[in-house]
Amino acid sequence: MIRLQRCADCGCAQYPPREVCSTCLSDRLTWDSAESLPGRALARTVLHHSNEPAMRPRLPLTIGLVQFDAGPVAVCFLAAAVMPGDAVQLRLNADALLEAA
Amino acid sequence: MTALPYDHIALCAPVTEPYVRRSDHGAAWFLARTLRRLLDSSGIEKSAIDGLCVSSFTLHPDTAVGFTQHVGLSPRFLEWLPMGGACGVIALRRAARAVQAGDAEIVACIAGDTANETSFRDLVATFSSFSRDAVYPYGAGGPNASFALIADAYMRATGATREDFGKLAVAQRANAQRNPLALLRAPLTLDQYLAARPIAEPLHLLDCVMPCAGADGFLVMPETRARTLNLPFVRILGAIEHHNAFPNDPVQLRGGWAMDRDTLWTQAAIGPNDVQLVQTYDDYAVISMLQFEGLGLCAPGEAPDFVRCHDFTIEGSLPHNTGGGQLSMGQAGAAGGFLGLVEAMRQVLGMADGRQVPNARHALVGGFGMINYDRGLCTAAAVLGRA
Repeated sequence: MIRLQRCADCGCAQYPPREVCSTCLSDRLTWDSAESLPGRALARTVLHHSNEPAMRPRLPLTIGLVQFDAGPVAVCFLAAAVMPGDAVQLRLNADALLEAA
Repeated sequence: MTALPYDHIALCAPVTEPYVRRSDHGAAWFLARTLRRLLDSSGIEKSAIDGLCVSSFTLHPDTAVGFTQHVGLSPRFLEWLPMGGACGVIALRRAARAVQAGDAEIVACIAGDTANETSFRDLVATFSSFSRDAVYPYGAGGPNASFALIADAYMRATGATREDFGKLAVAQRANAQRNPLALLRAPLTLDQYLAARPIAEPLHLLDCVMPCAGADGFLVMPETRARTLNLPFVRILGAIEHHNAFPNDPVQLRGGWAMDRDTLWTQAAIGPNDVQLVQTYDDYAVISMLQFEGLGLCAPGEAPDFVRCHDFTIEGSLPHNTGGGQLSMGQAGAAGGFLGLVEAMRQVLGMADGRQVPNARHALVGGFGMINYDRGLCTAAAVLGRA
């Protein structure tokens, strides 16, 4: 499952999650929940260095900026073949690091 | 409403506590040494400092407040400016307004940090709540990863190449070879730059600033006081800042400078072609290119051509980051936000020794800071002029 925060008052989606809606400042926030959410890759990088020693065995890691179709932009792991401009499905996966590696 | 001009304000006494790769001293040592240098170079007593602006990442858990007790200052005006690479221009703005309003007469502006084995990793891991929760878990690449994504998008949008980024880095290294304060002074060729190992593609090792320890500072006071003290000074012709500009741009291909650029040049009463040197915040070359565009040196998206057309060395067509910039001097934490401003002051004052730009009457300084999530939120710029 993946969850995207949405304002119950003005309808704006936002990411990362916040305490209030960054558009209208309402605190009536709800969640869009789905198995996956559609988006488009905007940029990618292949990491050859990590500041976290525990992640170093997994290098190189492909990271990207993906814009949800709903608007917000997420930093996320990318499947290695995904290039900017490609349509993607965003999923939240507790083992994402393992899968990306 | 038009902003009040920065008339009758003097910027004096650019000082640097020399950068070192690592240090066992705390941030307060670097900041206090810089304060001492300000007093020594201006001849004023510590008690005459009645205003203070401080920026530091590693002073934590202290802020400017604790620092006053650490060094025995009793200012009547105090600013803590955690704005990273924009903190120098913003300190200048705060200090100048305080002096104009009579809230302080002599404001010491200082920024600096220490560096040790774990300080950089600790800073990156908890830099902001958004980055802690929504960036760091994705590979913990730190600023290299965030700027790699911006650089990737910028290259795709504009056709910028690694050679363009490299041209800036190589010119800055040539400038650094004439600056005894620069940590990285070995000759650098474009081939060496291109052959460096990848860190976060498209960024390679020589795109990344080297974390280090050090501090920079300057004084702000009324022109009349500077004259009484016989202190050489420069004028602030214009200064701007913006925060979280263009929040709906999906990727940061422009910074907030574009929102205030016309205000800046109108206030300065000169244009981008009238400066003899430019200091950009160069944590990565792509950000220097965003400043060239945002500050009106070239049109949006045209910085790659602009870079190809200019020579950025001291004797070149547009001397840029004349002390070597952060890429060759090192990034001493928050001092990175002061480095360009202090270097511009030295140039306009004619104090740049072996790297003096001939006839440096006007200088442009850019600031950029704080990757809170996916982009730098703070942008600032100042135009300085010879008194």
